[in-house]
Amino acid sequence: MTGVVTTLRERTRPGRGAATAGPRPGRPRRSASRTARPWLLLAPALIVMGGLLLYPLLRVVLISLQDFGLRQLVSGRTSWVGFDNYAELLGDADLWRTVLPNTVVFAVVAVALTVVVGTLVALLLARLRPLTRGIVTTAIMVAWAVPAVTGTYVWIFLFTPGDGLAVQALDALGLTDAATANPFASRISFYGVATLNVVHHGFPFVALTVLAGLLTVPQEVTEAAIVDGAGAWRRFWSVTFPMLRPVFAVVTVLSTIWDFKVFTQIYLMPGGDGVNRGVLNLGTWSYVESFAQNRYGLGAAIAVLLTVLLLIITVGYLRLLFKEDEL
Amino acid sequence: MVSMTGLLWRSCRKGNHMWSTSGPRGVRRTAAALLAISALALAGCAGQGGTNAGGSDRKLTVWIMEGTNPDARPFFDELSTAFRTQTGATLDVQFVPWASAHDKFVTSIAGGTTPDVAEVGTTWTGEFGAAGALVDLAPRVQQAGLSDGLVKGLTEAGTVGTALYGMPWYAGVRSIVYRTDVFTEAGVTPPTTWDELVTAGQKIKAARPDLIPFPIAGDNEYGVYPFVWGAGGQIATQNGGAWTSALDSPQARQGIEFYADLALKHGLSTPAAATWKETDLRDAFTKGQAAMIISGSWTPKSILESAPELQGKVGAFPIPGPSGGLAGSFLGGSHLSIFEGSKNQDLAWQLVQLMSTGDFAAKWGAESSFFPGTTALLQQAAQSSDPLVAPFAKQMVEAGRSVPVTPLYGQVQGKKTIPAMMSAILNGTPVDQATSTAATEMNKIFAGGA
Repeated sequence: MTGVVTTLRERTRPGRGAATAGPRPGRPRRSASRTARPWLLLAPALIVMGGLLLYPLLRVVLISLQDFGLRQLVSGRTSWVGFDNYAELLGDADLWRTVLPNTVVFAVVAVALTVVVGTLVALLLARLRPLTRGIVTTAIMVAWAVPAVTGTYVWIFLFTPGDGLAVQALDALGLTDAATANPFASRISFYGVATLNVVHHGFPFVALTVLAGLLTVPQEVTEAAIVDGAGAWRRFWSVTFPMLRPVFAVVTVLSTIWDFKVFTQIYLMPGGDGVNRGVLNLGTWSYVESFAQNRYGLGAAIAVLLTVLLLIITVGYLRLLFKEDEL
Repeated sequence: MVSMTGLLWRSCRKGNHMWSTSGPRGVRRTAAALLAISALALAGCAGQGGTNAGGSDRKLTVWIMEGTNPDARPFFDELSTAFRTQTGATLDVQFVPWASAHDKFVTSIAGGTTPDVAEVGTTWTGEFGAAGALVDLAPRVQQAGLSDGLVKGLTEAGTVGTALYGMPWYAGVRSIVYRTDVFTEAGVTPPTTWDELVTAGQKIKAARPDLIPFPIAGDNEYGVYPFVWGAGGQIATQNGGAWTSALDSPQARQGIEFYADLALKHGLSTPAAATWKETDLRDAFTKGQAAMIISGSWTPKSILESAPELQGKVGAFPIPGPSGGLAGSFLGGSHLSIFEGSKNQDLAWQLVQLMSTGDFAAKWGAESSFFPGTTALLQQAAQSSDPLVAPFAKQMVEAGRSVPVTPLYGQVQGKKTIPAMMSAILNGTPVDQATSTAATEMNKIFAGGA
């Protein structure tokens, strides 16, 4: 490790001078080795990235241009179909009527709720004494620690038609009739339950990240704002939020990515595995359209579409959040 | 780092000359290291993989689905001993859960790590066979003189063109399981027509309002088929190799409407059941909430295991036809298939024969509550006087049916066309509309893969 650091130092220090002096004569071997050295040092990371990220990414794009099924998988033969998979995908009325609206509306609502609830919890935590904060943090960590599958089954259990606890509670409040209501049957109530599940699972991450940010806001700034007569609302928007902009950028972008590609929580709910066509989202739709039918080419095309969508949204978010800095 | 990968590199590829080349050594080294690492990462010193042992130590890898036989290990211990005595070869039996089996097969086919012999669900055999992953067993079956003694529904399901990709191992059908005590209380006997089924349900509803007389699960395609077939309809028809959906025919619609009306018009089900799966039916029955359910022959055993208080209160009757007789019921089960990747195909065939005929097949059927795949053994099982076996045997022998025998139907099932149709109907979509949508979807798949 020490050797590596020395090497780096060696390379950077005389390097600056050498840039103007031009290549030094008489030591070509040294110079080539110097060109190679950073690549050598980068190699492990590049190889891991290349093997684990770049290669699969490239492969997905290639498969999305092929008619790739089980037979092609077994035989290793490929048949190129150009953009047929994309044409089929974009020409499917279900995509525009059901799948995209479900995905986008769910993601918008879930991200907004996750960030708002997470921020409120973080603000609460920041005000608590260390002991109480520890207890509350532990409590919310439990929600985070529960695996998605387990959490989903708990929510399904709560909303089981007829005898689920939540259904009974709603019945007692006169909001539904427990005997006839099936929360999983309609699109709105299905996604209502899914939103509860996802927000409950996602807010602890936001809360802890924002809390970490809140603790770095200098006390003097807040005090100055109080002296200036700013209320809590004003202080949040004029002091806390601008200072924590990068934190909010990160939690929002990550939550968006997670909520956009949500699969487990939807697939496991009754009807979510493709039986109830009204509740399909991009994740479950791609699974039903491709994997359940061994049409990997189409599945790859959906994956590419999802990636492109996420890239656009992420870039949009980042531009929005950092617009003021750029100006 | 460099020297270590270099060593590995050399150990994999003996005698390379990369190290003696002239020129800037750093670059060469980097290139060599890069190559070595990526070669190692991607190929992992290719050539050492593969699960199949060579001919010398004669070992067969066998995949068996988990859960069919509640306690399968003693059976396979006995089988291994018998197989070793017969052939001198050993067995490596691995249990695979049904839920992840399809994915596991596909990845093993892609990665070349298939077992020698595997239990394959009848609806998958055609799919894997048509993809070129399974050995055509037709010549071997004929040579062994077994061709005429196999249960027809199972050979049909394993046949693509003239090739038979799976040896019938066991089969099961669904009939109706009911609570005998509730029937006595309500004063009804097992219905033999569709009208009687409605009457029985209504009487049970009157006598025991706390029970669901006959829950209709939305996500249970095998509950829909008997009513399509019973009404004289078809799922799909074949004409010159091309399949066309028949779900929108008047007969099929009539059957589906009757089935849905049991819930919608006669109130014999519960709204919750619109999103139920077959396992939810079993759970409702086990919890004592349902009086009749559509159930496989393998289910009563597990019901009685989890709810001993129902002992002596569970009976079964075949699904009746509209005006007597029996409605067709899906005959499903498993094949034993040999993978193309196996190096010991003759030995594997010996194992398949040992498992699917004679004592071991009969024993497996008795232990798992499924029926054997040979007609001789099936007829023997059909003579059973067990009230939880005989009705199923009757349904299977007299009215066992197959879903359309084409690998494309696997895609239809993958897309959940029938469950989507049924749950839509139970949630209020008119039958005509839902069946048309389902038929269009099915035809699209039939056309796309042809």
